[in-house]
Amino acid sequence: MFELLGQALIDIVQWKYLLPLFVGTLVGVIGGSLPGVTITMTVIVVLPFTFGLDPLQGLACMTGVYVGGSAGGLITACLLGIPGTPSAIATTFDGFPMARNGEPGRAVWLGVWSSFFGGLLGGVFLILVTGPLAALALEFGPWEYFSLFVLALAMVAGLTEGSLVKGLLSGAIGMLITVIGTDPIMGVPRFTFDSPFLAGGFPFLPVLIGVFAFSQIMSDVEKLRQPGAATTAAARPMLSVSQLKVIGEILTRPVLLLWSTIVGIVIGVLPAIGGSAANMLAWDQARKMSKTPDRFGKGTPEGIIASESSNNANVGGSLVTIMAFGIPGDAVTAVMLGAMTIHGIQSGPLFVSQQPKLAYGIYAAYIVAHVLMVAVIAATALLLLRMTRIRLAVLAPVVLTLCVVGAYALNNTMAGIYVLLIFGVVGYLLVKGGFPLAPLILGLILGDQIELNLVRSIMSDPDPWLFITRPISGGLLLAAAISVALAIWQHLRHRERQAEAEPDF
Amino acid sequence: MSKTMVRLVAAALFLTATLPAAAQQYPDRPVKLIVPWAAGGDTDNIFRPFAPLMQKHLGQPFVIANVSGASGTTGAREAKSAPPDGYTVYAVHDYIHSVYYVGITDINYWDFEPVCLISATPSVLTASAKTPWSDWKSLLEDAKKRPGQISVGATLGSTSHFFPALIEKAAGIKFKYVSYDGLAPRMNALLGGHIDLTDSNLTQKGKVDAGLLKFIAIASDQRDPEMSSVPTLKELGVDVSFEVSRGLLVPKGTPAPVRAKLEDACKKATAEPEFAKAMKLQGTQARFLDANAYAAFLKKNDEVNKDIARDLGLLKR
Repeated sequence: MFELLGQALIDIVQWKYLLPLFVGTLVGVIGGSLPGVTITMTVIVVLPFTFGLDPLQGLACMTGVYVGGSAGGLITACLLGIPGTPSAIATTFDGFPMARNGEPGRAVWLGVWSSFFGGLLGGVFLILVTGPLAALALEFGPWEYFSLFVLALAMVAGLTEGSLVKGLLSGAIGMLITVIGTDPIMGVPRFTFDSPFLAGGFPFLPVLIGVFAFSQIMSDVEKLRQPGAATTAAARPMLSVSQLKVIGEILTRPVLLLWSTIVGIVIGVLPAIGGSAANMLAWDQARKMSKTPDRFGKGTPEGIIASESSNNANVGGSLVTIMAFGIPGDAVTAVMLGAMTIHGIQSGPLFVSQQPKLAYGIYAAYIVAHVLMVAVIAATALLLLRMTRIRLAVLAPVVLTLCVVGAYALNNTMAGIYVLLIFGVVGYLLVKGGFPLAPLILGLILGDQIELNLVRSIMSDPDPWLFITRPISGGLLLAAAISVALAIWQHLRHRERQAEAEPDF
Repeated sequence: MSKTMVRLVAAALFLTATLPAAAQQYPDRPVKLIVPWAAGGDTDNIFRPFAPLMQKHLGQPFVIANVSGASGTTGAREAKSAPPDGYTVYAVHDYIHSVYYVGITDINYWDFEPVCLISATPSVLTASAKTPWSDWKSLLEDAKKRPGQISVGATLGSTSHFFPALIEKAAGIKFKYVSYDGLAPRMNALLGGHIDLTDSNLTQKGKVDAGLLKFIAIASDQRDPEMSSVPTLKELGVDVSFEVSRGLLVPKGTPAPVRAKLEDACKKATAEPEFAKAMKLQGTQARFLDANAYAAFLKKNDEVNKDIARDLGLLKR
């Protein structure tokens, strides 16, 4: 195993792979640092440009984007108080106050090194656990997969902020979209109205780009004429700081670092939660564990360490799930999985044992990307800060164009672009209606799989009780029920509290 | 960054722009090969090493576009509606007949002009390591004892469904089918013991050597020299020979000189030793047929598939 990893590391630092990895990391950091451009969007935009590369080159590039993006958000989070991506939300809580207290360098570098260490610990987990987990995944029959997908949907619908009903509805809409087209078993056309455009159903990537990237850019464009978001931070904050001291600050808190990393990994492994939840949860955990919880939110280094180490560890965790089960956890990993498929890789239980070169190549890319990420941020932090002032009026058309090119490049047909347009509008309307989009995306990814595995289960054995009596399947369904119940309970409690709090207003 | 991005976009748009061309200069721009399945499948694996050899003899890039979906019929539909100018070529296998007769699509081989046949991959009846059978005889006994109980993973309506169904008929037994689209998911299910049997091919040799799977019998006329321990179905008394043949088609109406150029390049490409070597890795035989022979092959194969579909009670046309 270590020989394989060593060989892969030697391979990955060859120019052939290092260059795409570096470009990916750079673009990832840039995308991550631009407020309003999420990691998902960056990954979507970069993917079509890797089509012509060989598989490991392409995946190295995509891994770089993912790692860079997860760290890139911290720069603006610390210096401007605006998270570059949702996975850096909790970083603003302590990073921004620390920067305002005259220590911007300390805040940024605490974040960078926490990302580095958290990411590497996540990498250790990735390398050690993917193989055994893949072996476990082989034991998963159609019943277990069905229940696992149901759990994923229940969790993501329950975890969304706002209404549980809207979360569940959004997931249902996603699954309904997959009903259109030919059914996945016998190819019976459904809701196609004899139109060749609908006959193949809606391809996943254009729908994803439409619903996610397109609708988000459109709602950002809406805010163009509204004043307010303009940034007025110091023109040139000093970022120089003693690196050793900062690293020392992190490493003298091993429990905090380890715990935040574990939170990040666990959330990454669980399907459907994602980096934006990891950093909030880790921050919250750190505050609960701290001896000085009242210093949280006022610029304590612990808050930055917790948030940033967890969101990069989360990347390692979610790569485990994609590689071992072939199941995407959230929108970003869905695109990463799509990237693997496009590069001719069948991820799943057999991937690591059958394609050790590629698998270890991805591990190596993941590790090297962290080193590159530190270098990229060191070299470009101030430049990036300037870039966040590029006017949206300039940025939006570029991103929109890239979206359209990406949708076309997928199959080289115009149909992809029409689908993008339709779902751009759908996504925009849903956002306006206050529907969370994550459950929709997950419903979209899992719809066919849920149906397939349900039908497979019944074809294998018509006894419906097997879903509950097979231990793993039953356990997963129970967890799904609990997660919905928990969400309802939390919403109720939240409402009660709001009712109590109201007289204060 | 934005400037570079804009340049990249411009480059991408330029590359995909279509330029007018006259037939006599064919080909003067890249040719697109539609593979109707996702990257990484058997078909993709067979056409990937073939594409650069075509490129060598055509003198223009020969680019694979994976257009998957709806049991391979989305790609078929796109190939059919492409302009018949020789710049869109369609990578096909025997599924084109079966999906037509089981009613998944209304497109069949007669919507295209044949160019050439390039390869044939014999099917191998493969069992999970978790099954008790050591050979065909014990499988047959068990199947007679438990009709409709032994599960087979298959892409319904496609070649992996027809092959075990032919065995059923020849041996007088009854299987139970579970839908697993494509070889990769079938392998996962077989390794986990969630299905008992499936149609695979010699590409899975590594897993058999590792004791993860069992090859029961191969559906070729003679044993394969690479895996001589696997008996043929015929020598076991089961009169089934089954292979998946892959070839090139172009849309109906493509001019004859253009087809001749493609046919010629195909002939040279399949004759390259490199091609035979790549096919061997895929458990596949390089097998060239020219356009006329391929046309006859398609016609015969279509009737065979129609008969099978009728026998299996799947015929919808």
